[in-house]
Amino acid sequence: MEAAPETVLETENLGKRFGKTWALRDCSLRLPAGRIAALVGPNGAGKSTLLHLAVGLLRPDAGAVRVFGQSPYDNTPVLADIGFVAQDTPLYADFTAAELVTMGAKLNRRRWDNLLARNRLAQLGIPPDKPVGKLSGGQRAQVALALALAKRPRLLLLDEPVASLDPLARREFLQSLMGSVADSGTTVLLSSHLLADLERVCDYLIVLHAAQVQLVGPIDDLVAEHRQLIGPRHDQEPIGGVASIIRASHTDRQSTLLVRTNGPINDPVWSVREVSLEDLILAYLADGEALGSHSAWGVPA
Amino acid sequence: MIWLTWRQHRKQALFAAAGLAVIALYLIPTGLAMHHKFNGSGLAACLDKLGNAQFLPAGTQDCTVQAQQFADQYKAVDIVSSLFIFLPLLVGLFWGAPLVAREIEHGTHRLVWTQGVSRRHWALVKFGLIGGATLVVSAVYAFGLTWWMDPLRRATGGGRLTVGAFDVQGVAPIGYTLFAVGLGIFAGTVWRRALPSMAVTLVGFLVLRIALTVWARPRYLPALTLDYPLQDALQHNMARGDWVQSTGIRDGAGKLILANGQMSCRPGVSDCGQDLASGAHNWQLFQPGSRFWLFQGIETGIFVALAVLLLYFALQRIRRIA
Repeated sequence: MEAAPETVLETENLGKRFGKTWALRDCSLRLPAGRIAALVGPNGAGKSTLLHLAVGLLRPDAGAVRVFGQSPYDNTPVLADIGFVAQDTPLYADFTAAELVTMGAKLNRRRWDNLLARNRLAQLGIPPDKPVGKLSGGQRAQVALALALAKRPRLLLLDEPVASLDPLARREFLQSLMGSVADSGTTVLLSSHLLADLERVCDYLIVLHAAQVQLVGPIDDLVAEHRQLIGPRHDQEPIGGVASIIRASHTDRQSTLLVRTNGPINDPVWSVREVSLEDLILAYLADGEALGSHSAWGVPA
Repeated sequence: MIWLTWRQHRKQALFAAAGLAVIALYLIPTGLAMHHKFNGSGLAACLDKLGNAQFLPAGTQDCTVQAQQFADQYKAVDIVSSLFIFLPLLVGLFWGAPLVAREIEHGTHRLVWTQGVSRRHWALVKFGLIGGATLVVSAVYAFGLTWWMDPLRRATGGGRLTVGAFDVQGVAPIGYTLFAVGLGIFAGTVWRRALPSMAVTLVGFLVLRIALTVWARPRYLPALTLDYPLQDALQHNMARGDWVQSTGIRDGAGKLILANGQMSCRPGVSDCGQDLASGAHNWQLFQPGSRFWLFQGIETGIFVALAVLLLYFALQRIRRIA
């Protein structure tokens, strides 16, 4: 029997409110060590909020977030173990890449791998003496990643790291990321609203929608326990082996269901198909409450 | 952290040094010329002889003529001096307001506050170094201006306490500058963008400075009153540098019968003030010039205390920014 892997990031009924709106609510999840996890959800789903809570930029309004068993808010020792690349990879635009590496060394006296940062930037052909504001978006993202990796973090959080990059730079960025975390055993959590970017590199999935967690788990397990069923029109009656119906669409005589299973489905009226990861995520994202603002616009719903 | 602060703000430091150099290029030659003229023309010696009495004995050679000449010659310089009232504001706008606001505006607070240095540490080092630089810069221009203005303020006789002269001399400019920087930093933690923070700093600084100048400063200590006769043609001693706040003529019962005026008759005029009520006498309300350093201390204390308070609130707010 294998021991359960260590939990790196854990949230418990975590909530964060901005004014009256909950940006994140009742969020409970566990991220085991060694995973490359994708945090997926549409814009405004609460991805950045969750990452900011995990890196101690925000303080929870409800529940708790723990990184390596400790609250990261105002907790410098924990921060030293977290590498964070914020959205749009903010850097001091007038610093050169070499100066940013120096800054990293000055701000992380506990642990800082200067050689790692310099080697990475050299391999990527980043000029050391040019202000990073004058570099391309892809190069800036690489500098930001190098700074995060040089902390030798046990947890690496990346907030939409590739959103502003072109497809080629995107691929290069993810490849270099995977190359560097593959042998270090670093746990990675990266957010994106584009699934295609993450499908190749991630083995764990967190789906956020409308401020709530919709789905968490290892991608292989999730794909294995979901099925698409096509059969005669279905009216709520239970189906053997189906734990819950995630999404249903009906025509007059036929129903198409995306279901979560808890056993084999043997009912012959249903034809059973495997689902792709993309179908699965889209089913969960469509499940959220309908967001209409008809009254605010003064038009009929 | 110290390296980072220097690296981030060295341009501002350079601009400040250049600004001070330009000011020095103007102040040092004109200041030397004024001191030379002030001492050389005998005006300094003349004023020294006047002592500290409220009135001068009849027939004393008061230095009015020489002083007037001196003041006329350096009228333009006197006008320039009032521009230096705005120096503290400039430091607040360009050093204080962007300190936190620019980090948030560019998102770099998410970079720097997620490293192995706590926000509190980050803020304290930044506040300390920027505050220290502010102290040095403001002390340089405050003491420079005090030296430069000295002949002018003595020659014009209005005293160091008057509005305009008080505000660019002594230690008060140091207090104003620290306050402007504190206000700028605090505004940055609330508005979180450089431009609105600068606007708030500008308005807040001017409002408080004007309010304190107009309402508070004349009341730091109760003003003194002075009653003296219409006759005898008493000469005020200009060397005292009193700040006269109000003048008038009162009758024997103390009722004000003429506001904003004084009257004096030549010796030997027998019907002096005959047409006025009985017991009519000159009256003035004033802050003695000797209170200059006390008032400087009070005003500087108020602004330094406000600066410390604002930085404390800024520190509290920084902990909640994401």
